[in-house]
Amino acid sequence: MQLMSTIRSAKTAPALLELSADNWRLAVLVGLVVSALAVVTLPASGSFWVVGAMSALVAAAFAVNAYRRRYYGGLLVAPAIAVLFVMNIFPLLWSLGLSFFAYQSNLQSIRFVGLNNYIKVLTDEVAAPGNWSALINTAMFAVCTVSAQMIVGFLLAMLFAKQFPLRKYLLILVLTPMMLSVVASGVFFTYYYDPTFGILSYVINSVAGGQFIVMDSKAGAVAGIVFADAWMWSPFVMLLVLAGLVSVPKYLYEAAAIDRVSAWRRFWSITFPYIRGLLMLALLFRTIEAFKLADLVIVLTKGGNDTMTISYHLIRIANEQNKTSEGAAISYIILFIVIVLTNLYLYVANPKNREA
Amino acid sequence: MTATREINSIVMAAGLAASLVLGTTFAFAGDVTLTMAVPDWPPTRIMKKFFDEQYKPKSGNTVKLQVDFIPWPDFYTRVNASLTSGEKKYNFIVSDSQWLGAFVEGGYFRKINDLLNADPEFMKTFKDIHPNALNSYSTYPHKSENYYGFPQFPDVLVNFARKDIICHEAEQKNFMAKFNQKLPCTSEELDAMTWDDFKNVGEFFRRKKGEMLAGKPAEDDFYGIAFQAGKSYDFSSMQINGFIWQMGGDIWDETQAPTSKAEGVVNSPAAVKALEKYLSLIAYMPPLAKTGTMDIFKSDELFRQGKVAMSVNWIGLAEASLDPKTSRVSDNLVFGMMPGTKGADGKLVRWSNIGGQPFVLTTWTTDAQIKEAVEFVKWWLSSNIQHQFAAAGGQSAIKSVYSDPKYVTYRPWNRAWAPSLDWQKDVWHVPQFFELLTQQQDQYDLAITGRQDAKTTQDNIAKFQQRLLKEVGLIQ
Repeated sequence: MQLMSTIRSAKTAPALLELSADNWRLAVLVGLVVSALAVVTLPASGSFWVVGAMSALVAAAFAVNAYRRRYYGGLLVAPAIAVLFVMNIFPLLWSLGLSFFAYQSNLQSIRFVGLNNYIKVLTDEVAAPGNWSALINTAMFAVCTVSAQMIVGFLLAMLFAKQFPLRKYLLILVLTPMMLSVVASGVFFTYYYDPTFGILSYVINSVAGGQFIVMDSKAGAVAGIVFADAWMWSPFVMLLVLAGLVSVPKYLYEAAAIDRVSAWRRFWSITFPYIRGLLMLALLFRTIEAFKLADLVIVLTKGGNDTMTISYHLIRIANEQNKTSEGAAISYIILFIVIVLTNLYLYVANPKNREA
Repeated sequence: MTATREINSIVMAAGLAASLVLGTTFAFAGDVTLTMAVPDWPPTRIMKKFFDEQYKPKSGNTVKLQVDFIPWPDFYTRVNASLTSGEKKYNFIVSDSQWLGAFVEGGYFRKINDLLNADPEFMKTFKDIHPNALNSYSTYPHKSENYYGFPQFPDVLVNFARKDIICHEAEQKNFMAKFNQKLPCTSEELDAMTWDDFKNVGEFFRRKKGEMLAGKPAEDDFYGIAFQAGKSYDFSSMQINGFIWQMGGDIWDETQAPTSKAEGVVNSPAAVKALEKYLSLIAYMPPLAKTGTMDIFKSDELFRQGKVAMSVNWIGLAEASLDPKTSRVSDNLVFGMMPGTKGADGKLVRWSNIGGQPFVLTTWTTDAQIKEAVEFVKWWLSSNIQHQFAAAGGQSAIKSVYSDPKYVTYRPWNRAWAPSLDWQKDVWHVPQFFELLTQQQDQYDLAITGRQDAKTTQDNIAKFQQRLLKEVGLIQ
């Protein structure tokens, strides 16, 4: 009889209204109803905790259900999913929700406005030009910084793939910028570019005469930021490419040497296929990072000379001006762009798609 | 007997454990802790030092002042995050006067009228604050009878100058020959300067490395003048507002809301002309000004490094220029009032944007804390402490303190303090302050870096303000 009961509980799900610790359907139903009631009737400070408790109830029901039905795989990944949900998915969903409301964190009033925030940040006569200009600047920085890092990083990797005296020490030296804090690097470059105290202006003024000010035009300011960013992050690209280069089997080069294959053909047919995946990975990482470029801009130009990036613009809107909902809408637009770009890269990087 | 001893020892151990655990969480009834968020710089460090060394609460309670010293560049972000996150950490906050609206409307800053009304002595001290400082640091809506803040460190813009350069005989002679007027050298002569005189100084002292400067070859390129012209925070608006007010223009007047307008006022011909005047001086400043990053810290650094002859900056930064450890020009300084503009009657018009900060009480501060907080503020604003603060490099906005003949002897710039106070106005205090400020700073940056003319700049600012303020009901 007891065995039968165990088998039943392991196989059969309880009826919807059966009061049982593993009845996750009932838990979901109760959770939804109680949460909805709490949101409608209680102040936000109270309903927040009620919704949180209901979420915990549903999660517990799922866990008991998984245990009783021996879904041990699910149980094992549950803690990771819980952490992911709390730290990542919940804030994402929360901010997505906020983007449909008019909410300012310093005023604590909230009202539903649907897609108005998205329409405002993209089309409003006053708000939109700043967003578009920052987006265009970000795209420009993404192209310039990522190109510079890919080229310099690739060339450095080619250099360090060979053995030469002091290679180990030089490699550590080249990797140093990547380990520095962005603010420290930014302050260093502030003085490097400074027209009064900076070495760059000093050297150029000594050679060419006149007064050289690198950051007094948009082109100069962009070049200054791109150079500083490339200085910091080219070593990252180098590390990835270097990993690919050292993984190329030596016998392939030996065979190519026997066949008297040209250097270019050797690179294109042997080396490149080994590093292509890693190059695409570097491209992906650096492009995503380029969309988040704010720290260097803040330290070097404060967004002046038309160097405002969308991330810095977002910091000003969401943090300084407390326009939380508008900031959330801009964040989701950036997220959408980054997801599209990421998928595009992954599509191109996948050899199967290329062959098709 | 053994059992009794055992029970006693268990009770004692439990008591000890409980006291260890609870002791860290609960304070004794007579202990009051006031937690304060302040920017990390000498005026707040001095206040904490005075408190630790001198403050004895009249209540007999043990009052602790727990101060979070936050670096200036992070100050607003940290305070804003603390307030809006609802952590309710601070009882006192040093706030820029312009933040009042945003945080009063959000329910964070506590109105203090009841505290003032309940204590005539406190009210008397409070009313002894200079009206311009009182309006700026304490009232919301601006210039109303609703009070929120007490002055922590009041501040104004003054003119810093190098005596070794401007008083040099050869420079005096050459300046006279070029401009047919005396190169200002004394404090009184600095006080009498107009922006045109300031421009002349800028034009006159542009020297290349190796050219003669005050009787010897210049060690490096040298410049005549400097003032704030930076994009971040308010590092151009604070200076430009002074030009606008002095030349007969105005900013949007929040005290007349909702009938006052932005369009037609912000971009009036006088305001455009004032911005043109401000921009015309950029050419005579160190080249950093052309990059839009000449904030108050950079212009101060350039002055202390001996790269400029005159610099307009906040008194709050002046202490470092007197210290030989941080200044190459410490023993050659003279200070005067910020330059003005000659009015129709020939007298100087000296309007300027007030600086400095009040400190405010937060709404979640308990009655026991408020009682001690009021006593602390009364102590801070008392004549003796304000004198000590001024003698240590601070400033006082209390009339009876700054009118004392001793006051001008504390620091060389103090002689410019009282007359400058009469000419202070403040920028907006409305909750939309940051939106107004960042857009204006962006526009001024375009003008400073030569990408846009003064008229377009003021037109864009006026249009934005009119639209935003109309949207929120502050303009009809």
